[in-house]
Amino acid sequence: MPLVSIVELALHAKQTNDIVPEADWAAARNIVKADLRPDDLVVFAPFWADPLGRRTFGDSIATPKRAGRSDERRFARAWEVSIRGAHDEALAGWKKVDERKAGAVTVTLWENPDHTKVIDDLVDLVTPERLSVSRVDDHGEQPCPFQRGRTAGGTTVVPQGLLTPADKFVCNGGHVGVAVLHALDHRPHLCIYATPIQGATLRLRFSDVTFGASLHGHSGIQWLVERKPTPEKVSVSFSAFGHTLGTHFHKVGVGWVGFELPTNDIEGKKGELTVDIAPSSQRQFCFEATTRHASSSATGGGR
Amino acid sequence: MSDKDEVNEETQRLNPLMVAARAKAEDAKAKAREAIPPELRETPRAPEVVEAKAKEIRPEPETAEEEKPAEPDAEASEADGSRSKSEREKDATEEKEADGRPAEREEERPLGERVVAWAKRNVDHLIGSGLGALYVGWLLATARTLGFSRDEGFYFSASSQYEKWFQLLFSTPGKALERAAIDPIWTANHEHPSLMKSLFALSHMFLWNKWKLVQDQSTAFRLPGMLMMGLAIWITYLFAARVYSRRAGIAAAIALGLMPRVFYHAHLACFDVPIMAMWIACVYAYWRAEKIGGLGPALLAGVVFGLTLETKHNAWMLPGVFVPHAILVHGRSMMSDAAKTARLPIPASLVAMATIGPAVFLLLWPWLWNDTLPRIQEYVNFHLHHEYYNIEFLGRTYFGPPSPKSYMPVMIAATVPTTTLLLFAIGAFDRLRVVGARAIGWLGETLGRAWPKPSGQDPLHTDALLLLALAVPLAVFLLPRTPIFGGTKHWITAYPALAIFAGRGFDLVADRIEALLKSRTSLDETKRRWALAIAGAITFVAPFAVTRHSHPFGLSAYVPFFGGTAGGADLGLNRQFWGFTTQSLNDWFSKNTKPGDTVYIMDTAWPSWHRMVDEKRIPQWLRGVGSPAEATISLVHHEQHMNEVDYNIWTEYGTTAPEFVLTHDGVPIISVYRRPQDGRRGPR
Repeated sequence: MPLVSIVELALHAKQTNDIVPEADWAAARNIVKADLRPDDLVVFAPFWADPLGRRTFGDSIATPKRAGRSDERRFARAWEVSIRGAHDEALAGWKKVDERKAGAVTVTLWENPDHTKVIDDLVDLVTPERLSVSRVDDHGEQPCPFQRGRTAGGTTVVPQGLLTPADKFVCNGGHVGVAVLHALDHRPHLCIYATPIQGATLRLRFSDVTFGASLHGHSGIQWLVERKPTPEKVSVSFSAFGHTLGTHFHKVGVGWVGFELPTNDIEGKKGELTVDIAPSSQRQFCFEATTRHASSSATGGGR
Repeated sequence: MSDKDEVNEETQRLNPLMVAARAKAEDAKAKAREAIPPELRETPRAPEVVEAKAKEIRPEPETAEEEKPAEPDAEASEADGSRSKSEREKDATEEKEADGRPAEREEERPLGERVVAWAKRNVDHLIGSGLGALYVGWLLATARTLGFSRDEGFYFSASSQYEKWFQLLFSTPGKALERAAIDPIWTANHEHPSLMKSLFALSHMFLWNKWKLVQDQSTAFRLPGMLMMGLAIWITYLFAARVYSRRAGIAAAIALGLMPRVFYHAHLACFDVPIMAMWIACVYAYWRAEKIGGLGPALLAGVVFGLTLETKHNAWMLPGVFVPHAILVHGRSMMSDAAKTARLPIPASLVAMATIGPAVFLLLWPWLWNDTLPRIQEYVNFHLHHEYYNIEFLGRTYFGPPSPKSYMPVMIAATVPTTTLLLFAIGAFDRLRVVGARAIGWLGETLGRAWPKPSGQDPLHTDALLLLALAVPLAVFLLPRTPIFGGTKHWITAYPALAIFAGRGFDLVADRIEALLKSRTSLDETKRRWALAIAGAITFVAPFAVTRHSHPFGLSAYVPFFGGTAGGADLGLNRQFWGFTTQSLNDWFSKNTKPGDTVYIMDTAWPSWHRMVDEKRIPQWLRGVGSPAEATISLVHHEQHMNEVDYNIWTEYGTTAPEFVLTHDGVPIISVYRRPQDGRRGPR
């Protein structure tokens, strides 16, 4: 029994001394920074080390789009910054290009065999210059003005729900702005927080959108709602040049889920993209969509 | 009739109709005994088969306990081999010394001799209380570095309310007992009974307000909980010492104290460690009542059960320990009596618990003094339909039934030092073997087969009692509807029994080491004792190191065989709850904030935050606020279901990068964000 205690003590001593120093994280950051491209992904593994990575790498590298990514396929390469031999399963099947050590941190560069390059990202277009929002009901279409205000939400009690963004389009019964969703997978997803309106359609018109071979998108509802599945669906229709491109139905309970609509017939064209969100009681709905160059064989799912 | 039956015939039981007559007879006997000088009274011995018959001529229970500690169970324990050799030798020596002393009146002896004699008589209480006091000292020494948990904040508030009532009670008792005084005060936090909160209040009232004996108000609030931990250590020692050996008792007490989760909870002004202490105290009181017999111990068991009910609702599970045990001990004689008299004789302690227990529960909880039945109904309903909080287990956040059956065993394995668990496994296996052998013997007897029966059986089935005290609180967590949000604290009541079996396991290992030293070395006895002491110290060095290192992140710590704190994070085990870790940011706050800075306090309860500021545990220039929108600095206590707070701060501050991450063994505990000064808006 004293021997078991000695082994336990030795393990304890090792574990409490094997802490990754901040200097190693900083060295890893320098490796990544030296060769980072705009459409590179940066991931920290294991996921619990994500705050440590974001702390050291800063938000110029750990941007909201990388940290709160919709999917991995939009990135050509990925820098995996890992400790304790962890590996992000989302990079399974990617080709290892390089691996370097920064003390206790391993930096691995992966190449995406299934990259679909993003042309336009609707999240970037949520500005008064590129987006107009309106409420459509029996009385016609009422514009929802853009307002710069304060966020709403956040208490000392959890769960507290999706934070209503400070800058948003405000409708009678809803709003549209950019937020970060805590989805059913407990991961962050940067998305357009567009509250469906009961008794009215929420219409978003994005101008000057360049179309590719397909429209990729994802949607989700705040995790607390999704963890109790219901038959209810949120319907999101996309149309351009007078034609419906397709409709995505988000069923409550599926979590952060991807969809893909082919747009080969309008590939290379530039025009208005209209998104209609049908009436629903699901207030904490969030989605994102991108136009992409190459369509892939399967839809990009959530992680 | 078998010997066992005879024992059971003689074992104290209480038919409700015979209470008065029996009590009268006991009183008469007690008076007769008091007339006999103590040294001439019969030396109390183990309640073995023959001795149990002579129960009527025994001294009163308390006297018996004081006069011969750790001895009453010696024979029963020796019979099944549960006492160590050294212990038996030691007891024999002490017995010889006591017997060799000439009869002498106590008051005629010199004071020093009397003190020594008293200490010898009370050696077990001295060891137990000494260990408990030492532990309370450790808790006091580390209390200042542990922040206030969410629930503590609520209990600080409730206790402060109750304190006002006690002040009224001491000044104008008549007014205090009026409904107008009771209801507004005792409505506060009425979902839990009042005993501990009353003790927190009284401790604060006297130790802080009146006598200024403690450094912080919080220490005054927390002290009763810490003392309860001392009591748990004391009784755990006492129980193991009396059932197995002093060595087992010491090992059991140490094993209980050196569990990181227990160490954490023992600091708090909460009810989890108190109910753990009262649980084992109640089991012990019941066992003593069964062992000694007589009305006094039975009444005491009733009172202790009442206090346990008044500590926390876990106490309502205790009948699940006592009733099966009573049936095991008395079942046959009860059936036989029932057949003869058409009445079902019930053990006195159980009757006392069923009557005095609820009475004490009502008496000590002023909120129940008015509208009693509806309020009891409200209390019951609150706990029967308690909300399910979120808790992460193996990477998944659970928030309702069905709870995973593996939760309890995995969490025990992941949080109780492995050395302790192995000792427990050895001890529990040994006792299960004995229980199993008895069961086989009983079965053989019932089936009329000549199966071997173990000799020298313990008529009290103490092993079975301890196994029940361990199993009942754990078994509840195998039910699909039992909420698991409290983590290990909700089955903490099982830990004293676990520790007692670990003590027994230690005893067996020590015996083995002793035998090896004797047979394979030429060490003399003194050196062998030293070698054994060193081996014992080494055995507990890992649990000590792990427990000490876990502070003040006891809820984040996992045992080395699970990879430590980082291993727990890898496995997706809960990292903390209650927001108490905020205080651990004090160094960072002190160096990186300035007067006027506002802090979003996240999971920290307001009363906890205010107390931390008040006691200068964090800079007093900070102002707490309730949302990131109002704050220049925002905190995230890392728990899976609280990720949304992290992401909402990205939305609010437009950055994903915390300025500081508080870690324990490299694992994030709190992320601290500062609002960027560049006027950015939104997370893009």
